[in-house]
Amino acid sequence: MTDQKRKIPVEEDNYTHNINRNNERSLDRRGFMKTLVGAAGVFAVASLPWGTLAAKELMGLSDKEYPHKKIVDVKDIAVGDSVEFYFPSEHDSAVLIRLEQNKYVAYQNACTHLRCPVYWVKEKHTMVCPCHKGKFDVNTGAPTAGPPRRPLPGIVVEVKDEAVYAVRVKRYEA
Amino acid sequence: MKRSFVGVILLCAILLMNIVFLQLLVHQYYFENYVAVLTYMGIMFLLFPLALWIYKKEKYKGDHSHEKE
Repeated sequence: MTDQKRKIPVEEDNYTHNINRNNERSLDRRGFMKTLVGAAGVFAVASLPWGTLAAKELMGLSDKEYPHKKIVDVKDIAVGDSVEFYFPSEHDSAVLIRLEQNKYVAYQNACTHLRCPVYWVKEKHTMVCPCHKGKFDVNTGAPTAGPPRRPLPGIVVEVKDEAVYAVRVKRYEA
Repeated sequence: MKRSFVGVILLCAILLMNIVFLQLLVHQYYFENYVAVLTYMGIMFLLFPLALWIYKKEKYKGDHSHEKE
């Protein structure tokens, strides 16, 4: 280092210039190798969340079955009508639509755009989000018009003892 | 003092492998090949001790001041 920087201003009480900082910021071979080992560690840790999610998928935790919930009696829902319900928790609003005599579809009806509730419009035979005129196909839940780009998460329903039950939520496709 | 850059080169190679395997891992996650994801994660976790081992081995290479004569 240059001598100029190491120059001690006042010789007799040297409190400020007593630290030797020569080559403090230069990266030598060993320091560089240490950095690379640290990077390897960071990479190993970075793969951890992905591995955890993959293990979770392999164990089938994300496809869990919720306790079956009765939505409505078959006699209370006419063909072409819809019923709102909540599944799996009381904060997840959903809609059940009876398309044919024995064909029921159900979706979580929070719009995949900004989570407005999506309604079944019988006359137009489509599901409509009133906030931004988003439309969804009733058979698949796929978006057909407006801002939403992702399908509505479907709910598997089951007819048992003259009533319709919600069984589980289909995998949410991002 | 003669420097040895073998360690630097090997560790650079490990860094490259880390980058490549992490990229593959993320891709395989989105392709839903979860077994492949776990395999790549195992490789990533093996690379770190390997890097550490290389570092310890190469730390004093070419530096004779630590050796007793």
